[in-house]
Parts: sequence; structure tokens; C-alpha cells
Amino acid sequence: MGEAALSALATFLDPLRLGLLMVGVLAGLAVGILPGLGGIVAVSVLLPLIFRLDAATALATLSGALAVVYTGDVITSVLVGTPGSPAAAPTALEGHALARQGQAARALSAAFLSSLIGGFLGIVGLTLAIPVARPLVMLLGSPELFMFTALGVAYAGSLLGRSPVKGLLSGLLGLLLGLVGPAPAAAEFRYTFGQLYLLDGLSLVVLALGVFGVAEVVSLLARGGAIARQAGLGGGWVEGIRDVFTHRWLVLRGALIGVWAGVLPAIGATAAAWMSYGHAVATSRDREHFGRGDIRGVIAPESANNAAAAGDLIPTLLFSVPGGPAAAVILGALYAYGIYPGPRLVQDHLDLVYVIVWSFALANILGAALSFLMSPAIARITHIPFAWVAAPLLVTMALGAFQSTRHPGDLLALFLLGLLGWAMKRSGWPRAPLLIGFVLAKPMERYLWLTVKLHGWRWLGYPGVLVIGALMAAPAFLALVRWWRRRSSPSTSGEAPHRPAAVSEARMQRIVPAVMAATAFLIFGVGAAQGFGFQSDARLVPLLAAIPGLLLAVVQFVRTVRGEPLTAADDEGADEPGGVDPGRELVQFLLVAGYLLLVWLVGFHAASFVFVAAFLWRAGHLRPPAALAYGVAAVAFLQLLGTGFDLRWPAGVLVR
Amino acid sequence: MWRAVAGLLVVVFLGAQATWAQAPYYAGKTIEVIVPFAPGGAADVGARFVAPFLEKHVAGNPRVTVRNVPGGGSMLGASYFAANAKPDGLMLMCTTSSTVFPWMFGHPSARYDLGRMRVAMTLAFGPVVYVSPRTGVRKPADLLKPAEPLVYGGIAATGSDLPVLIAFELLRLPVKVVLGFEGRGPIRLAFERGETNLDFQFTPVYLTQVVPLVKDGKAIPLFTGGAPNPRGELVLRDPVVPDLPSVFEVYRELYNARPAGPRWRAYEAAAALTFSYGLTWWAPEGTPEAALRALYEAVDRIVADPEFRERAKTVTGGYPLRRGDQVEGGVRKAMRPTLEVKKWIADLLRDKYNVRF
Repeated sequence: MGEAALSALATFLDPLRLGLLMVGVLAGLAVGILPGLGGIVAVSVLLPLIFRLDAATALATLSGALAVVYTGDVITSVLVGTPGSPAAAPTALEGHALARQGQAARALSAAFLSSLIGGFLGIVGLTLAIPVARPLVMLLGSPELFMFTALGVAYAGSLLGRSPVKGLLSGLLGLLLGLVGPAPAAAEFRYTFGQLYLLDGLSLVVLALGVFGVAEVVSLLARGGAIARQAGLGGGWVEGIRDVFTHRWLVLRGALIGVWAGVLPAIGATAAAWMSYGHAVATSRDREHFGRGDIRGVIAPESANNAAAAGDLIPTLLFSVPGGPAAAVILGALYAYGIYPGPRLVQDHLDLVYVIVWSFALANILGAALSFLMSPAIARITHIPFAWVAAPLLVTMALGAFQSTRHPGDLLALFLLGLLGWAMKRSGWPRAPLLIGFVLAKPMERYLWLTVKLHGWRWLGYPGVLVIGALMAAPAFLALVRWWRRRSSPSTSGEAPHRPAAVSEARMQRIVPAVMAATAFLIFGVGAAQGFGFQSDARLVPLLAAIPGLLLAVVQFVRTVRGEPLTAADDEGADEPGGVDPGRELVQFLLVAGYLLLVWLVGFHAASFVFVAAFLWRAGHLRPPAALAYGVAAVAFLQLLGTGFDLRWPAGVLVR
Repeated sequence: MWRAVAGLLVVVFLGAQATWAQAPYYAGKTIEVIVPFAPGGAADVGARFVAPFLEKHVAGNPRVTVRNVPGGGSMLGASYFAANAKPDGLMLMCTTSSTVFPWMFGHPSARYDLGRMRVAMTLAFGPVVYVSPRTGVRKPADLLKPAEPLVYGGIAATGSDLPVLIAFELLRLPVKVVLGFEGRGPIRLAFERGETNLDFQFTPVYLTQVVPLVKDGKAIPLFTGGAPNPRGELVLRDPVVPDLPSVFEVYRELYNARPAGPRWRAYEAAAALTFSYGLTWWAPEGTPEAALRALYEAVDRIVADPEFRERAKTVTGGYPLRRGDQVEGGVRKAMRPTLEVKKWIADLLRDKYNVRF
């Protein structure tokens, strides 16, 4: 095996291959940075190119792109709070909070380094997995896979925040949103309301962009000024590296979670990042900084998502079963070369496997190095007026979201999910459970169904199931022990953080949470009402999400109306010093709505030009000529981008 | 005078040459192939595998690009194609029976009319059905009395599983069908783990992934879907796996009679659409004959290309690409079964698999 690794290295160190690997890395970083575009776009754009290459070069190029998507997405997530890809949503939360405190440099360097190490450990995992993966995967039947999705949900339990009711509501809402589209076990499309757009369910990319990205942009705009409240990037480059070293075991555990999530077909990088984040929260004694800028909340998910990118290749190469959507494209490329991965791949094409290994390793280094080099320049955008960044950012997000299905529904979904994310944020509902529920809804339902159909109830006694069940119960048990200890030693002050319950008097601050609870009640109500109408094979999970949701929404509504202290329970973004003004934020939402409506009417180019120019003139206080020039430049840049990445433009209904 | 005549001749000659050497239809143009599935699936791999050969062999050497428009189990992309493709042969759609069945049964979201579209070319897929030795089944006849209950894993009743599910009905096999897997790969792993014990895979996957299991004594191949004779009847053996009997032969062996009636015709229709014409390149209604002819002729040259033959062996299992004009009749016949056959399939889907169109 060592010999094969060395001969593959010789194959790999060919100028053309290295050059194309670099092309792949650049494509991967670009789609990582651009919100809404992900690995699948990078790989798809490279496909026409690589079909003209030999298999080793093609694989080097594709691996280069896939390895660094979750390195590039750090930049957008930390600097503007918009996840560069769904798997960077935790980074957008924690890293961006740090950036606003003027610690962008620290967050970035910690994230790049953990990405690099995570990617490396992932590829080491892949190499070690070659001999043992087969027996291991053979142990994992539908019951074990179901238990792993349930474990993911249990990890999410540590992300519920300080108000379990809101956390559960958020998770159930995510579950319900994740069930839109075809039911796994029955020929039934659920919650599609007769819309062709909803037949495949909501897109994860649009959900992450809306709930985190749009919501964040709107808040930043309403607040005005620059992103960072303190001057200077923070001299944190070294500090970030030191952070990674301090939390080295967290990096390792994050990478293990990532590799494992990659191996499991049902769980991908997004779930891996959140599970790792949840793990970081659960294993930390001092939790009060999570949600408002904790470096551990950056390190753990960034290590995990890069490791998952490598882990995805394990089932892809060893079983011909793609570990994720981007890995499916790699598999397709291999098929087109007549290479069918599987047990024979290791015998017949071990050199190719090692080309992938070397490519991943080198790409991770190149990606992290390039990101480090780019960051000081890019990080400056946290210090210019945000209005200058916001307009092009919003336009890019709309373009990225539109690539999900290339249906105008993407734009409407982006807006509505943005409104949802914002309302959740302003009502103190944690958004992490929403995303986890969404990502795991379908695999959980699928494997529960297959488990019961194939194994009856015997599976509850399987050893694997019992082991995973114990893993699930462990955090709860630990929490119980801690609680017991705390009770028996009253001297410790407990871990509940002490924070001023600065209840604002603004009326809007009461109205939004009440409207949020009422809206959730309505959504769960529709979910339950429709759920009863589904076929028996498609009914169970929707009702399991909708009915408890309905009850909890009533509880939450009553609590809100009775005057629950808001800021004390708010886990995300309640740290604005001057307080927030939801009314001003709603005005910004009207702007977003106006822009998206304009796109729908007159098409992407015209609408984006008008929006960027007008926005910079009115909100950015640029003089009209400068604003016009900015608009032209923004549209020209996006045109260039779109041509390079073979993107589609929303065409206006009036123009057509 | 002679000069004038010579000049005239030159003019005539040049003019004639201009019409004789008329540029090929596709010269300097780009063909965009719409694949209504995400990248990485069978349709995507097929379309991308063939694309460079089209660039090489279509007269005029057009650029060929592949674009994925996934969604709604291919209905979104097919509806997009129907709404956007102009009848100029510059936009084609490459898809599978997953697009045909919803249209055949009038799904409200199938906003496209395959009955009016033209067939540019097709590529076949062949299924191989195999069983676990634990079932005690050694040959097709044993399927009627297995040692342990037969369990088959599938994706959805209306997709590529349909012909196999109909074959189980036709052969009256006692099979427990569990649908809901996310792909044929995970189904194969479930078979290897022993969660299921009856499965089928398409030939390229069968040859690379299942044959090693057969050699290890972990799987026993039983039969194939069969191949059509010139009249479109599925009575021949699969040319890629000629040592295995077809469904047709298995029926004759089990029941000593030639299969007939709505069950057999339902099987023939579903199997033709899923396997024999498994991957079909569609052109919109009204596509000029010159464009279609250019594509048909390209198919002849592609099939003769030694590089294609070599690579097709591993990529597609070795099935040839076929000209649209040679298969269009067969595709149309399979897409328009008699009312009786259609009703039989609809009843099976409704009563056994809870599918309501």
C-alpha cells in the first residue's frame, strides 16, 4: 500500500495535474465564498473540462474543488454573517459574532486552521478506512442508520438554548419544513399545495441563505454603520492559531464527527457541522458565550465540515454509493471513465485512490493558505459602511438561491425564509434546531420506515442499536450527574449565566415574538390538518412534528403575551448595545421584497442594476454618478461570474 | 465573347458550388442537452458520456453541453424542456422512464407531451435479477418455494422498479416488497448485509459490483429483463448477459406456456420503456428533418467508432446507441399501451402500492 501511495505521488506530481488541481482549488474556494453556490456547482462547472482529461487528472481537479469549499465558505460566514454554504451556518453564527466584536482576524485564522486540520484528518480517515470500511459498513443496517440520525437530533438537543420550548418549536418547525416534497415510503407529495416548485421539497441552500443570510443582512442594514463595532481587525491572527492549539482535542473530535457523518449516506456536511457544534456546546463548562461569539463554536464545525467532505468519499469509492450530492457527481465522472468504484477499485485502481488522497491533502493546504492570504484584504469590508456591501451581497444571494431549482419560487422562498429567520432571531428562538431538523427529517423518516418494514421490532435489541442508544443517553446522564452535584454542593453558583434582563420597552419587541408564536401555530395547524389526510405510510412523521408543535406554540404564545422577559432567553444576536428596532428592520425587508419583486418582473440584470445603484445612492450616500458606476460594476461582475460558472439568470415576466 | 462565356461559367460554377457545399445543419451551433435529474445519476452519466461523441460525429461538429434541471422526480426539468425548447434541434432532453410513467398516467405536474416529441436516439439498460443463497434458491424455478421469505428492496413503484414489480406479478412470486430506499446503491448494500435477499442491478453495476459477490458465493444470478426482437416483443436474451434466461423464458419454464394477457403486455410496455429504450434523447415536436437526420447519421458513426465501442463496454454495459428513426415506433407503441393494460398497471399500483394518479 505504501508503494502504491508513492507511485501515485509520482503520477500526481505532474505539472499539468498540479495546475488543474489549482484550477479546482480556485473554483472550490470561489463557490465556497459565494453564498448559495456549493460543491455541486464547482464540480458541475468542471465537468465539461475534465471529460477531456485522463482519469487521474480529472480526479485531481475534482478533489481539489471539493476539498476546499468548506474552507472558502468561512470567509463569507465570518465577515458578513451569511453562510457561504449551508454547512457553514454555525460559523456564520459564532464567527460573525466575533467579527462584530472586532475579532474577525482571530475567527478567520482559527477557522482556516481547523478546516485544514479537519480536512487532513478526514483524508487520513479515508486512507485508514480502505481496509476496514467494508466490514464496518456491513454492520450498519437501516436500524443503525436510523439510530445515527436520531443521535444527530439528540446532539441538537444541546443547542436548544435556554428556553427548551422555543428550541423544540424551532426543531419541530425544521422537521416539518424538511418533510415538504415526496414521502420516502409512499407515492405521495406532501405539503406541496399544488405547486410544482415544492415537488422536490425546499432547498437546503435557500433555507440556510434565508434563515441566516437575509435575516443577518437586514439587521446589519437597520443598524447602519460598519459590521465591526470596534476599530481594527483585531490583532488576532496568532490568537486564532493559538485557539486551535488550545482546543486541539475539539478539532480532533470535530474531525471524527465529520468523517463519520461522511461515511453515513444519510448525514452530510451540514449535519456534521451542527452535530460538532452541538458537541462543543455540550462538552463545555462555560457556555455563556455560545451564540454571541465563542471561538470553540467556530473550530468544531469547521473541522467537521472539511472532514465530512473527505469522509463522503469513503462510501463513494468503496461501495459506489455516494456519500453526498457532490460525491455523486464524482461517482458519475468515474462511471463515465468506465471506472466503477467498489471493492475492485482498491485492487485495480489503488493508484487512483491515492491520487485522490494526495489531491485532497494538497488542496486543503492550498485552500487554507490562499484563504489566509486573501483574508486581510477581504476583512477590510467589515470596516466600510455596510450599505456598500449589502446591495451586491443581496444580489449575489438572490443569484445563488436561484441556482437551486432555477424557478422563481426560489426567490419567494428566500424572502419568506428570511422573514422567518429574522422573526425567530428577534423572538429569541434558536435557529440551529431548525436547520438540523430540516436536514435530518427525510433520512430519519426513511430509515425508520425501512427499519420497521425490514426488521419488525426485533431491531430494538440489536447490539449496534443499543450502543448508539447509550451514546444518545450519555449527555442526558451527564447533565443529570452535574445537576445532582450542583444540588449537593450549594456553594457553586451554578452554570446559569448571569446576564442583565434588559427588557426593552419598545412595543415592537413584544409584537414580533407574539406574531412568531402565532405564525408557528398556524404552520403547525396546517401541517396537522393536511397530515391527517396523508396515506397511512406517509402520515406518522408529519403528525409527530405537527401535533407537539401545535401544543408548544400555544404554550409559547401564552408565555409571550404574558410578558416573558425577552432578552434573557434570547440566545442569538441580543447583544446589540443600542438595542434593536424591529420596525426599522421591517422597512429593510420591504426593500428586499421590492428588489426580488423587481427581479421577477424585469429580470435579474435590470433589477440588480436599479437596486444596487438606487440603494447606494439613498442608503450608501454615494453621489448619483458613483452609485450608477457601482451598479454597472456589480452587474458586470455577476455577469462574468455567471458566465464562468454557467449560472442561469431569473428572466423577468414582463420582459419575456 | 469567350471571356464572357468563361466568366459566366465561373459564376455558375461558384453558385452551384455554394449550393452543393451547403454547410451542415449543425455547423457552428451548440446543442444543449437537458437532463431532468441531478448530476451523477444514470441519465446524467449517459448524457455526458455520449456528448463528446456527438461533438465528434454530428456533421458540422456542434458544441454539445449538458445541463441538469432536476426537480419533481424529473417532471420539473421535462416541463422546463417542453416550455423552452424551440423546434430547431438545438435543445434536446435526455431522460429515463421516470419521466415517461407520470406522463402516461396523467400526473397533473407532468406538463409535457412526450406523445408529440421526436426520438433522436436511445440507449438500452439491462437489469439482472439475483438472489441470496440463504433463500435456498439456485435456479428460477426455486423462486416459487424459497427456504426463507423473499424480500425485495426498491425505490418507488412508479420508477425503474415498476417492470421488476410487474415481473413478480407475472411470475406470481411470493415476494415482500419494501420501497423507500434512496437509490440502487444503498439497496445493493442492504442486500449484502442480508436486510433484503432479492435484488436487481443494471448491467454495468451488475458486472462490476455483483459478479464479485457471485464469485464469492454470496449472490446467485437468476434472470434478465430480456431484449426485444425486431417486432418489439421481449422474447430474446439480453446480449450482454447471454448465459442468463429472460423473464419470458422463466415464465415458460415455470408455467409451460407462452406468457400472454394484460400482465405480459404490461411487463413488455414497462420493460421496454425502462430497459430497451431506457435512456432516450427527445427533440421537440416540429424539429426539422435535417436536424434529426444529422443526429441519426451521427449515431451510425458513433456506433462504428472503436473508441466508443471500447468505452461503452464498461460505461453502458456494451448496449449500442440506436437511431431515433429505428426505435421511435417501438417507443410510441410502449408509451401507448391498450386501455386494458394501462388499467391493469394502474390497478396494481393503486391496490398494492397505494399510488393514485
